[in-house]
Amino acid sequence: MSSASERSYTRRDTVMFLVCLGVSLIALFSPAHLGLAVSEALRGTVLAPLVWLQARAEEGRTGRARLHAITVQRDSTSYVAQGLPSLIAENERLRQLLSLSRRLNTPYVAAEVLHQAQATDGRTLLLDVGTRNGVAEFDPVVAPEGLIGVVLNASERSSVVMSWAHPEFRVSAFTVTGNASGVVAPSLLTTGDGALEFRGVPYRDSVPPGTLVLSSGLGGVYPKGIPVGTVTGIVREQTGWERVYRLRPAANPGSAAHVLVLVTPPDVDLARAFPSDSALEAMRLDSIARVRRADSLADAERLARAARAESLAAVRRDTTVARPARRPAATAETARPAAPTPRPAPPPAQPQPPATPSPAGGDSVR
Amino acid sequence: MNVSRANRLQLALVLSVLVLLHFYVRPRLWSARVSPDFLLMALVFFSMRAGPGAGAVAGFVVGVVTDALTPARFGAGALAHTVVGYLVAWARAVFFADNLAVYAGFVAAALWLRDLVLLVASGTYHSPLLAEVTLYSPLQALTTALFALLILAAFREWFAIRLDL
Repeated sequence: MSSASERSYTRRDTVMFLVCLGVSLIALFSPAHLGLAVSEALRGTVLAPLVWLQARAEEGRTGRARLHAITVQRDSTSYVAQGLPSLIAENERLRQLLSLSRRLNTPYVAAEVLHQAQATDGRTLLLDVGTRNGVAEFDPVVAPEGLIGVVLNASERSSVVMSWAHPEFRVSAFTVTGNASGVVAPSLLTTGDGALEFRGVPYRDSVPPGTLVLSSGLGGVYPKGIPVGTVTGIVREQTGWERVYRLRPAANPGSAAHVLVLVTPPDVDLARAFPSDSALEAMRLDSIARVRRADSLADAERLARAARAESLAAVRRDTTVARPARRPAATAETARPAAPTPRPAPPPAQPQPPATPSPAGGDSVR
Repeated sequence: MNVSRANRLQLALVLSVLVLLHFYVRPRLWSARVSPDFLLMALVFFSMRAGPGAGAVAGFVVGVVTDALTPARFGAGALAHTVVGYLVAWARAVFFADNLAVYAGFVAAALWLRDLVLLVASGTYHSPLLAEVTLYSPLQALTTALFALLILAAFREWFAIRLDL
């Protein structure tokens, strides 16, 4: 039998437990914006040193990887610069062809992802950038592979991202071929390859597996052209009404260490920043056409230059074979060849009007 | 300085070290999903020393912190950590086995239970829930228990733990 003091102690423990449990349940079922406001206030005050500490640790971890990458890049660059300058030119030309210089020419903020040791880490990500870096709520967050999510809440030095794994995530999307559009949402049934669903696709629109799905720009949050995922199959269909496709996500929020927060207005088309296979093909064809046009222009210029040289040689021959003592100025002007236009040379045996090369005529001949 | 005050200071020092490890060392380790959760480790150590009521309050505080850093659904972390803090202290009173293996087992079980309650409270069901509680949570529980063994072995004098494994 327990003593009175022990019963009191146990009762106090139970009361404390029930109070904490009750407050937790109230927080759990309170409106989401209240929870976000409390989170933001905590992160900005008592948790600010901890967030700062974790951000420094992430920088330290990724800094080593970045240093290694820079070292490798420097070594390979010096190797190329030493022995293979033609590769540099070819590389530059290929880069120009692929329009890589145009990639991500929109304003963005680079951020480190501060992963937490929680089972729900992939749903919401904590970033080490906030409003002081220009990040605002509803800014899209992307990885090099594609869409990660959207900024749900931004405080001064940190922000919370709702990734595509969050049950409330939605993005308006269309296929890269443009023949089907719908809404992409997380699948509650599967993980990995089928973690997303492409819903609301009209039944008449068939989307083959392997088709890339991009954000459509509708809805005012996500810019057009960000890869969301790739179709892997059909989840379900309602005959005559709609099909729901399974998508393999383009980017994995759980393993993303660096992301870009796009601080661009959402009416910008980002399709060129994320070249898909078809977009790359289109750019390649466009580049080939441009190269052909440039080649034809170069050919035309080369032909014109040859014709000009030929006409100048003819004029030289004329002036050498039949050099008169004097030549009227008007006749000299008529004998002056038009620079780029090829002109047939007169036969050298024919008698020519007397031509004395004047200084002006010499410049033109020269 | 009396004995209880010294014990409290020792416990505070260990908890501070664990908080530092959680926010500065853990991000430098491997994948966040399976890296040890030092914050939960600190909660378990504190709850086993302080009793169910204080464990519940500490769990609530730790849960609010995790909710603020990963607000999947605000309140889910507080609920999960409150339950874990209370149950760990209660279970320690029931089992009453002061050895490293039992302590490490407590830590692993607490982490798995925390993840289960957290996932259910935040609305995760079906396959994702199954994958988490059968794959990632056991892995993280394992790594956390291993690090808990190291911490306990390093500070066993302060925790007054027998070394008979």
